[in-house]
Amino acid sequence: MKHDIRKLVPLAATLCTLALVSFAARPALAGKAITVKGSDTMVILGQRWAEKFMNLNAGQVIMVTGGGSGTGIAALINGTTDICQSSRAMKQDEKLKLRDRFQTLGVEVPVAKDGLSVYVHASNGVKQLTIDQVKDIYLGTITNWKQVGGKDATIILYGRENSSGTYGFFKEHVLGGRDFSARVQTLPGTAAVVNAVSKDPNGIGYGGAAYAKGVVDMAIRKDAKSAAVLPTAATVHDGSYPLSRELYFYLRKKPEGDTKKFVDWVLSPDGQKLASEVGYFPLQ
Amino acid sequence: MKRSVPALALILAAFCMISFAAPARAEDAADDTSAVTRAELQGLLDGLNEQLQVLQSDTDKLKRFKFSGYLQARTEFSEASNDSVRVSGSPAAFTTPNNTRFYIRRARLKLTYDSSPLSQAVVYFDGGTDRTVRLLEAYVTLLDPWTPNHDHQLTAGQFNVPFGFEIERSSSVRELPERSRAENVLFAGERDRGVKLESQWTTQLKTTLAVLNGGGVNSADFPNTDPTRGKDVTARVRWSQGVWDAAASYYWGRQVTALTGPDVWTDKSRVGFDAQGFWSLPRIGGGSLRGELYAGKDVNADSLRTLVVAPTTANPVRLLRSGANSAHLATDMLGWYVMGVQNVGDRFQAVVRYDVYDPNTDLDHDQFARLSLGLNAFYDGFTRLTVSYDAITTDAAVGAGRFTDPHDNLWTLQLQHKF
Repeated sequence: MKHDIRKLVPLAATLCTLALVSFAARPALAGKAITVKGSDTMVILGQRWAEKFMNLNAGQVIMVTGGGSGTGIAALINGTTDICQSSRAMKQDEKLKLRDRFQTLGVEVPVAKDGLSVYVHASNGVKQLTIDQVKDIYLGTITNWKQVGGKDATIILYGRENSSGTYGFFKEHVLGGRDFSARVQTLPGTAAVVNAVSKDPNGIGYGGAAYAKGVVDMAIRKDAKSAAVLPTAATVHDGSYPLSRELYFYLRKKPEGDTKKFVDWVLSPDGQKLASEVGYFPLQ
Repeated sequence: MKRSVPALALILAAFCMISFAAPARAEDAADDTSAVTRAELQGLLDGLNEQLQVLQSDTDKLKRFKFSGYLQARTEFSEASNDSVRVSGSPAAFTTPNNTRFYIRRARLKLTYDSSPLSQAVVYFDGGTDRTVRLLEAYVTLLDPWTPNHDHQLTAGQFNVPFGFEIERSSSVRELPERSRAENVLFAGERDRGVKLESQWTTQLKTTLAVLNGGGVNSADFPNTDPTRGKDVTARVRWSQGVWDAAASYYWGRQVTALTGPDVWTDKSRVGFDAQGFWSLPRIGGGSLRGELYAGKDVNADSLRTLVVAPTTANPVRLLRSGANSAHLATDMLGWYVMGVQNVGDRFQAVVRYDVYDPNTDLDHDQFARLSLGLNAFYDGFTRLTVSYDAITTDAAVGAGRFTDPHDNLWTLQLQHKF
């Protein structure tokens, strides 16, 4: 029987290449490290959870990085992170991209609650705003503090980059999907926004309540007839603070092994207590 | 990342100056010069802050440009050693015996410009198979200003024909190297020129309506004009219910067959159905089962051969044969595929597909069937290797009433990088 050795070429090439890919993949697969990436709002919270969990589980490595919710979701879709931290819900087109690659719609795990604070400088005389006023300020319709009962000074707007979940949440829930004023100075993290506002007597910014150090939280009124509400554990919990939101972990599939242990711990009373200590609000 | 570099450099520079200045200020605390130094530093910081804001503004503008794309370097091993091997998908053909070949199947670069939240422009090029750079897509999209998520979008230009499922699905995410045979024949090149309106009515319901020239980018007479001089219309309704979704598509149009003298216009109506279900297996990963069907009218090669006199050098005219009925140029066709995909962990993916295309359901021995097996290995988040084997079944006439299946099975090895 005659054999054409050339017929074996595709099979040999396939096997060699697969072996190479498998070999290259092995170190990453063998490692125990859990990667967590995403929301800048949640990065401190994620780091604190990871530190505590690693202390409780010797040998376990959890690496937490920020970059924004959008960046974290992109990493989840690319397969370059195990857990995505997000301060907004995944969009439909992001779910479809995840489905394209992994054939799953992802698993959403709410891990804490947050009040989206509107910050101003400590010297600012304006202590409360309606959502419509905040909206008009960030749309650029209101440009001077005297238009909302403050001093005669131009309002300086600070905000987040569009890869940020906080940006997305604010745009959807405060601006009604409309675009921010071109005068908004975009900064790379909530800490940067707080820092800028803390040094600018005419500044206004927004971000997670946990970051509000050196600035003053604005009390928010749902409308002109509603009472002004500050973001506190009680008002975020009972929903009376109008800008509260859930913070999420997103995973490609139901967590297993070490990842499940970590997620379970984050949702445990200890994990939730730590969220409170950092400045967020527990789910229950 | 690039954006933060100048900002970081400026901040570091300011920090260094402050660090150096601080001890000097402490030593001369009683001097007036310390106040001067502080004022100077404040001035410097203000200056840096202004520069930073200019840089920020510039980088914000640059961020509106988004480049993306992918490259597919491919090796194919054809079972036949003396065939006239066609490159998968696109039209280029090898005319000499050639059973092993390296080539670039797709080399694509897409530029998206988000000029404002309500409009977007896309230009998309391919420099793959035919070794020339060609325009694949170019369109402008307007997003509605009255819904928070811009649920209604109007697009004008050159874009994928909104019909079925696989046409609009990027080759960079598809589990097998090529689309089904039916799609390749019926919507060659996948793209056309026109306008389309996409509306996301609820999270489940999406509709698409488009008016197109009708020729498609791969038709010979595509370049500048509408080949049929009449517009084609396509509509699709998709319902997505989490772990499954399904869609029905309809295409209404006319197909022109160019002849010496009056051209022949025939019906090009097509319907399509597609459905997909998804699951997740513990410890293994996500999987899906997908099916799609195409049915309707198309002018096929057999009917052209049978009914039209081909031009020759001596007689360069293209006419209907005597007694031929021009309406018979368009035949009833049927194409479908069923496909299963199973992820194995995060790095591997197994695929199986069976696809069938029958260009004339009234004729025997003209059917194309293919069983495709594939394996994707993801090297990292951007690069993957695809290995696939296509077992193709066709009937080639070898004598009166005798047919055989040619040896034309195909191994494909493809390395893709997406950015």
